[in-house]
Amino acid sequence: MTEKKKMAILVNEKTKVLVQGITGKEGSKVALQMQNYGTKVLAGVTPGKGGQEVHGIPVYNTVAEALDYHPGINTSFIAVPNFAAFEAIKEAVEARIPLVNILTEHIPIQDSSKAIALAREAGVRIVGPSSIGIISPGVGKVGSIGGDDPRGVFSKGSVGVISKSGGMASEVSWILTKNGMGQSTVIGIGGDILVGSTFADLLEEFEKDPQTEFVVLFGEIGGTYEEEAADLIKSGKFTKPVVAFVSGLFAETLPQGTKLGHAGAIIYGEKGNYKSKVNALEEAGVKIAKTPDEIPNLLK
Amino acid sequence: MLLYEFEGKELFKKSGINIPESQLISGSVNQLISIKAPLILKAQVLSGKRADAGGIIKVDRQQAVGDNIKKLFNTIVNGEKVENILVEEIVEVEKEYYLSFSYSTEIRGPVLTFGEGGSGVENKDTTKTYPIDILKGYSGENVSEEFKDIAQKLWEVFTKYDCELAEINPLVVDRQGKVWALDSKVILDDDADFRREEKFPERNLFGRASTEREIEARKIDEGDHRGTAGSVYWDLDGDIAVLAAGGGGSIVNMDALLAFGGKPANYTEHSGNPPREKLKKLTKIILSKPGLKGCWFVGGTANFTDIYETLMGFVEGLREIEPKPGFPIVIRRGGPNDKKAFEELKVIGRNEGFDFHIYGRETPMTSTAKIMVDLAYGKQLSS
Repeated sequence: MTEKKKMAILVNEKTKVLVQGITGKEGSKVALQMQNYGTKVLAGVTPGKGGQEVHGIPVYNTVAEALDYHPGINTSFIAVPNFAAFEAIKEAVEARIPLVNILTEHIPIQDSSKAIALAREAGVRIVGPSSIGIISPGVGKVGSIGGDDPRGVFSKGSVGVISKSGGMASEVSWILTKNGMGQSTVIGIGGDILVGSTFADLLEEFEKDPQTEFVVLFGEIGGTYEEEAADLIKSGKFTKPVVAFVSGLFAETLPQGTKLGHAGAIIYGEKGNYKSKVNALEEAGVKIAKTPDEIPNLLK
Repeated sequence: MLLYEFEGKELFKKSGINIPESQLISGSVNQLISIKAPLILKAQVLSGKRADAGGIIKVDRQQAVGDNIKKLFNTIVNGEKVENILVEEIVEVEKEYYLSFSYSTEIRGPVLTFGEGGSGVENKDTTKTYPIDILKGYSGENVSEEFKDIAQKLWEVFTKYDCELAEINPLVVDRQGKVWALDSKVILDDDADFRREEKFPERNLFGRASTEREIEARKIDEGDHRGTAGSVYWDLDGDIAVLAAGGGGSIVNMDALLAFGGKPANYTEHSGNPPREKLKKLTKIILSKPGLKGCWFVGGTANFTDIYETLMGFVEGLREIEPKPGFPIVIRRGGPNDKKAFEELKVIGRNEGFDFHIYGRETPMTSTAKIMVDLAYGKQLSS
């Protein structure tokens, strides 16, 4: 029997986290969750609260200060209010923290656009905004994904999951776990119009990961990220089997431009609609699930 | 938020974009028209393609202005009642162009779109889209010399007011070579409302005024940042009330309900661990609609929403509905404290006479759509 080389992507045993917004309700709760799941949370930042401690984690006034004392930090988790988000992201990007995971929702699109541009220049990977988090089951997590105890829903295995919806990342993982199919890494990319990491970006990482043998995509109407993923697969840059579920057919019965739960789930004209995404994915050889429960069967 | 033409033009004017002389008249007031014929009457509705629907009227003679205004106020343009008319001076158009700034998911940043314009431009291949480096900004690139100034001013509108879209179609050059914005389409980014001084009244894309329930529901999150509930709320035509959880899961569940023949009475969702008071308010609103045949409380397995809190909020709202709902209530949820919630719901259902059908994470979310439809529309479930 060959020993499978476990790896997972983005979050692994080397992950060392800084929590920006640690003294806030969400920041504090998630910091504790991450610790309980075995992830190393080295420090937190809340301007003006330097010197305090949250769940035994030291708090600093700035990202730069936190890195001075804890140079091993390689991941930042951001849970600050939307009006403060751009400055927080900018700090993390300027400090060149390689992975920045943003929980914050309702960040103005202009701010997201600038943050994404800055991150690109600095070689920093952003996951989010509006991201439920990233979990490599059995290894660690960043963000609120899995809540207080992810073990009920997430299990270790060989399926990578990339989802626009936080709730559905859990639902899909639960369906997989129930069917004896564990997950390598589950990532919530968020449902905003502009995202730091797209399906295609993460497929490139999953391609290199020996632990991942299949990938499940949870997509939604709006934008072109599913089409971008289809192009990547067609170009031969992702070679493992993919199953996708695209939601939002219902939204096409509402007037154009109607806003639903996710900022990105808006259709204007023909672009970004259900048919466009499903066609693109099918042409790339991706199997389309009609309901989330079909996913395990399509993976077999 | 999608702005009316006249609202977008107000922003254009502030940034120095050249727009025709105009007067805004509303349906309820008899006003003196300051613009002299020949002039153009433009119904202020949110739908595009107004001209085809009789929403734009050119009036040549002064004597015909009053009658045409009356006529336009009595027109329904693409399902929307005409509440305001923009009366404008006529511009002698030599050539029409299209100019807009928006955000592209292909480059994950802003783009400029420019080319020949006019009506039906979406169907022609005459425009080109150019990426913009948001960190450098836009300084007049990729448009012909005569449009550099207006393009930079439109960029200012786009960034200063945090727009998702700022569009001029048609952008025209008149016989004297002067450049005008003849129409305006602006979509504001609602997430930037906190830093935008200009405020605009609520509006509804369905071409009808917001219902009372919609107005009430959208108030629930005001001033209370704990989770969200009711901020997205739409009244629909059906008879199955829907209280969904999670922005993503809610859409999946609505897809399933429609697929099984269910007719939703509304669409709404909650997420991010809202307190029970919010759920109580939302429940009272959705169940206030008469003629309901069922209620579906549905969501996936939550990451951090407290299921006990949200379901107790639902029950508190339920208790205040008169007459007491006798229709089937299908609940499917999972997440923190779900078992505690279900235990208590079973007792409450028995003692207080609610017809609960409770499903936990073992039951696929979307299969409860079929259960809801079968129960609501009278099919017996096999035991």
